[in-house]
Amino acid sequence: MLRSFNQSDCCPPTSRRSFLKSSALKSTALGFGHLALSSLIQDSAFADRTNPLFPKLTLEPARAKRVIFLFMKGGPSGVDTFDFKPQLQKDDGKELPFDKPRVQFGATGKLMKSPWKFRPYGESGIMVSDLFPHVAKCIDDMCILNSVHGTNAAHGGASLKLHTGSDNFVRPSMGSWVTYGLGTENQNLPSFVTICPTLAHGGLKNWSSAFLPADYQGTPLGVASQPSTNAKVKYTQNQRVTRRQQRIQLDLLRQMNQQHMDDLGPNQELEGRINSFELAFRMQSQVPEVLDIADETQETQRLYGLDGDMTKDFGRQCLLARRFAERGVRFIQITHSDSYVQWDQHADLVKGHTKNALEVDQPIAALLIDLKRRGLLDDTLVMWGGEFGRTPVVQGSNGRDHNPEGFTMWMAGGGVKGGYKYGATDEYGYYAQENKMHVNDLHATLLHAVGLDHTQLTYRYAGRDFRLTDVGGNVATDIFA
Amino acid sequence: MADDRDKAGHAFFEKKIRPVLVRYCYECHGEERQESDLRLDNYKDLMRGGATGPAVVANNLDESLIIHVLKYEDEELQMPPEQKLSDEIIDDFVKWIEMGVPHPDSASVKIEPRKDSVNWETEREFWSFQPISDPPIPTSNNTNWATQSLDHFILAGLEKHGLTPAPEADRTTLIRRVTFALTGLPPTPEQIDTFLKDRSNNAYEKLIERLLESPAYGERWGRFWLDVVRYADSNGLDENIAHGNAWRYRDYVIKAFNDDMPYDQFITEQIAGDLLENSSDKQTTNRRLVATGFLVLGPKVLAEGDEEKLAMDIIDEQIDTIGRALMGMTIGCARCHHHKFDPISTEDYYALASIFKSTHTMESYKRIAKWNENEVFTPESKALFDDFNVRIEKLQQQIKEETDKANKELLTRLKTDSLPEKPAEQYNDEHRQLLEELDQQVAKLTEQRGETPTAMGVKDAQPVNLNVHIRGSHLTLGKQVTRRMPQIFEHSSEFAIPDSQSGRLQFANWLTDESHPLTARVMANRLWRWHFGNGLQPSTDNFGNLGDMPVNPELLDHAAQQLIKNKWSIKDWHRWIMNSSTYKMSSRFDSSNSQQDPANALLWRFPVRRLEAESIRDSILAVSGMLDREMGGSMLHVKNREFLFDHTSKDSTDYSSLRRSVYLPVIRNNLYDFFQLFDFNDASVINGNRETTTVAPQALFMMNSPLVEEASCQLAHQLEALSPKQQIPRLYQLALGRLPTKQEHATARKYLRQFLVTPIQTVSVSTEPAEDESVTVSGEVMTVEFQALKLLCHSVLASNEFIYIK
Repeated sequence: MLRSFNQSDCCPPTSRRSFLKSSALKSTALGFGHLALSSLIQDSAFADRTNPLFPKLTLEPARAKRVIFLFMKGGPSGVDTFDFKPQLQKDDGKELPFDKPRVQFGATGKLMKSPWKFRPYGESGIMVSDLFPHVAKCIDDMCILNSVHGTNAAHGGASLKLHTGSDNFVRPSMGSWVTYGLGTENQNLPSFVTICPTLAHGGLKNWSSAFLPADYQGTPLGVASQPSTNAKVKYTQNQRVTRRQQRIQLDLLRQMNQQHMDDLGPNQELEGRINSFELAFRMQSQVPEVLDIADETQETQRLYGLDGDMTKDFGRQCLLARRFAERGVRFIQITHSDSYVQWDQHADLVKGHTKNALEVDQPIAALLIDLKRRGLLDDTLVMWGGEFGRTPVVQGSNGRDHNPEGFTMWMAGGGVKGGYKYGATDEYGYYAQENKMHVNDLHATLLHAVGLDHTQLTYRYAGRDFRLTDVGGNVATDIFA
Repeated sequence: MADDRDKAGHAFFEKKIRPVLVRYCYECHGEERQESDLRLDNYKDLMRGGATGPAVVANNLDESLIIHVLKYEDEELQMPPEQKLSDEIIDDFVKWIEMGVPHPDSASVKIEPRKDSVNWETEREFWSFQPISDPPIPTSNNTNWATQSLDHFILAGLEKHGLTPAPEADRTTLIRRVTFALTGLPPTPEQIDTFLKDRSNNAYEKLIERLLESPAYGERWGRFWLDVVRYADSNGLDENIAHGNAWRYRDYVIKAFNDDMPYDQFITEQIAGDLLENSSDKQTTNRRLVATGFLVLGPKVLAEGDEEKLAMDIIDEQIDTIGRALMGMTIGCARCHHHKFDPISTEDYYALASIFKSTHTMESYKRIAKWNENEVFTPESKALFDDFNVRIEKLQQQIKEETDKANKELLTRLKTDSLPEKPAEQYNDEHRQLLEELDQQVAKLTEQRGETPTAMGVKDAQPVNLNVHIRGSHLTLGKQVTRRMPQIFEHSSEFAIPDSQSGRLQFANWLTDESHPLTARVMANRLWRWHFGNGLQPSTDNFGNLGDMPVNPELLDHAAQQLIKNKWSIKDWHRWIMNSSTYKMSSRFDSSNSQQDPANALLWRFPVRRLEAESIRDSILAVSGMLDREMGGSMLHVKNREFLFDHTSKDSTDYSSLRRSVYLPVIRNNLYDFFQLFDFNDASVINGNRETTTVAPQALFMMNSPLVEEASCQLAHQLEALSPKQQIPRLYQLALGRLPTKQEHATARKYLRQFLVTPIQTVSVSTEPAEDESVTVSGEVMTVEFQALKLLCHSVLASNEFIYIK
């Protein structure tokens, strides 16, 4: 098997060359991207071809209809959570017996064992540390990916790599690719939302559509430094105009626009803009409904930890993720990040990771349980992880450094095997070693789960066909049931 | 003897090499699969190599890629991927290469070079590498219509397809069209009135001249250029720190357009301004230094731990930008392998890369890396700066003396030989007061003096020639190249680079040479695109094999010649376009024409186009009387190289200005919402062909944003003093540049009455500033009549006609 290369700005395989040169495909008003896509998906029977977000059926079987990505900003440690390393526990304080990476983020010392106890959970008996006692109970629904690896040892580059597939070029984010490929099921809500995203380390690039049309860009709700109760879609409320007045206003607007269009002849763009006001009018009533969690039962609110000081903020994000998911939003990202780089424990690993895990453990478990009991887990792919992991060697006296060489993420639902471990790091958890899963492979696998072939999901820009996986990417077919 | 050696070699191959190939390589590079187009199971393919170049080269370890990959030198290209082979095996391969790659089939099989070695003559036949022609002006049946040379080309195209050009637009439409086209702003009712009343023959020409002379011209056309050079006031990417001095480049561009700086000079200054012959005029020298900011403005991975990779990434970004912005070529593709679609080899790429490696773009590559800035004092500002320093030094001397005195006094008073830890706290009142005062004076003077004025820009560094980076990796180096221009261009050989220089100046001269087939074509096509919404060659940033074919190649060449013949004057080029019959056509729909050419590719009417994000915002502010027309200067509220966002996500961006959009900070990774929504350039990559998307969040912005709400309110204030009969016509004139029809007038009045008959509920007016918003709505108590008027204004600002120009 050839591993993926993603050295840099590479070109598509030559086999596409003759295909691309065919002039019929080259000079269309719609642009190549749409055409490339139309060979990949079938428009549903009532497809409104002028609406780029109309839901599309995939040619490949789709296991998942939507994605929820739980982003742990800063880089949670694998060897302290879901990558149990008995040898590391034994060799605490010894030198790492092999070379550290050529490029490291900071200086590090000797091996440091995990301060947490690991226990087997579920029928699968997979070991999970005491940091995640709630999530651990869902282990039989989870597929642990122990061999993820990236290329960049700094937060910004690694975060961009994870979200867009590239750490040094501007590329569309994975949520944009997914909505580009699939459209969305609820036209009255944004197709791709990101709740409380962090504005540092790539910021908007992490949910931007880059060169894909703006229809596919993520809609941010709130920012990381603010509580999730402040997370709202912008401009859904005018403080000085009532809904009724706005209705009258829109009626006049429609009349004016219709007259304008009658004078200029048929025009898709003008017509699209007329419709966009009606859609906006519906959106501004539906978005606040999603965000208003008052209709959730006490039991549900407690499940997500909304009654706990430590858990209520991320609990609300998890609950919102479910509410968006059940309303047909295609890609939902929520971010665990406070005003610092949350999981970035260069020092005080115990203190930091304990607090962080406490904040997310119960809410994440609640999300998995809640999705499952509502029958949503089967067709919702939940993905958990940070931009990289942390070193098994110590930094300072009690911290761990960034480690993009081998780290752990996990998936649940969306057709992946539960109670399953895929890939492995070396005996200390430093480098990915077995069934290595490059970030490109992760993306290929994610697209596969939603029924998209990562080699076919292309968009023509600046003279070449771009993919989320660039020229790399192998689907980890083993993880699917 | 020879036979013996062959035999020994073959035996070595069979014993040591082939088994390894079979076991570890054939699965992916054998009969069934040829990953990367590489096959290793026969001599011919083995010697021919794969997509990334030759796998083995006899007696040449450096160029034998197989050695690099077996040794796992490059983190991204390691074979076999599962596990590095033993040193013993790798040594065998080294030995085999050094033996001259003995193989049993070497005598019987002829090796053919890979197909992708370039045939330059054939490649030069591609249309965009052909010299720019000077095509004859076509003739047409209709001899009355054409007024400018370009009209003949357009008309010939139309007649060929049986189409007829739309009639000339009325003067109300024309003044709105040309005012937006040249200034990005709507004409005022007074300007419209003056034009309509001017019955002289050259009223239209005069109008064009007035607009070309307006400083707003540079603000609009400079902004187009800023898209092409991925201008931004922050780095973006991983560490979003402020480009605190980028504004100097932005102001340079605006002024260059307003001064009609010839385009060849314009790009020469941007590529090699620091290398141009010394000017006695310091302002000229500074201007040229500022211009080289073009090379430094790109987004950089400033926290990259691999400094050599960072250097090459930055060079790659420069080459990619220059290639696409100025030549419409994706040269960056050749970083890892020969360009797959265009005739650019990796040698070409690294020859260019060597030019930029010989250029000082970065002050430091240490995390967080720092880009270079050059000092841009004028004699006057330098004198002033020095004068401040003299005064500050004097004060500091005085502070020193006074401190000594105070210390002495303190020692005497405390009857000791050593000063306490914080002596200042124990000074007597007189000393303390004096010292505090002096400190304050120093602080004040330092603030008045300001920082040393610097501008992002480059200078020459020690000239170097790079080695080809195999697969783009600095860890696997191939053969060395020398600095030179790409081989595909016939005039390249005339621009040799002296050993002592980077080659940037020669590169600029080469680009602006009249025989360069791309420079003038690409720019003329950009200008056409910005006027008509579509380029004569639609993919404006790609003139290569994967780009589009020009719709009207003769006209494109003619338009390029026009630019060169007018000494690269862009204003002359505008005159040529805007005084044409083609440009003055109306946008009237014609069903017969439309059936033939629904996309209006041949230009049978003037295209209806939405305004760009900047113009939409500027228009909203202009018609409501809120626009601040001050020009130039920095708009950032953070210091140079300070974080706009550090890891705390605290937002230090500030879009609260009412200045024209071109002056708002362009913050990568956190563009102003309005820009983001209305298809502003991404600001990290070049874009000469922005999209126009129509999405619901745009409508939400028009309905609910404080900006549009407040503008509606201010617009209504302009109308409220008028009699009810005059209000609606004035609103139409201000916002749409025309009077309402009778029917429109009636509809609007009915609309106002609707609010008056069904009383408007009292709306609670919030005076709290909306969260991170540029404009805050003012808290005021409104009469019912005023509210109705405001709602009408709001509808007009949201209408299609307000932002679509015909």
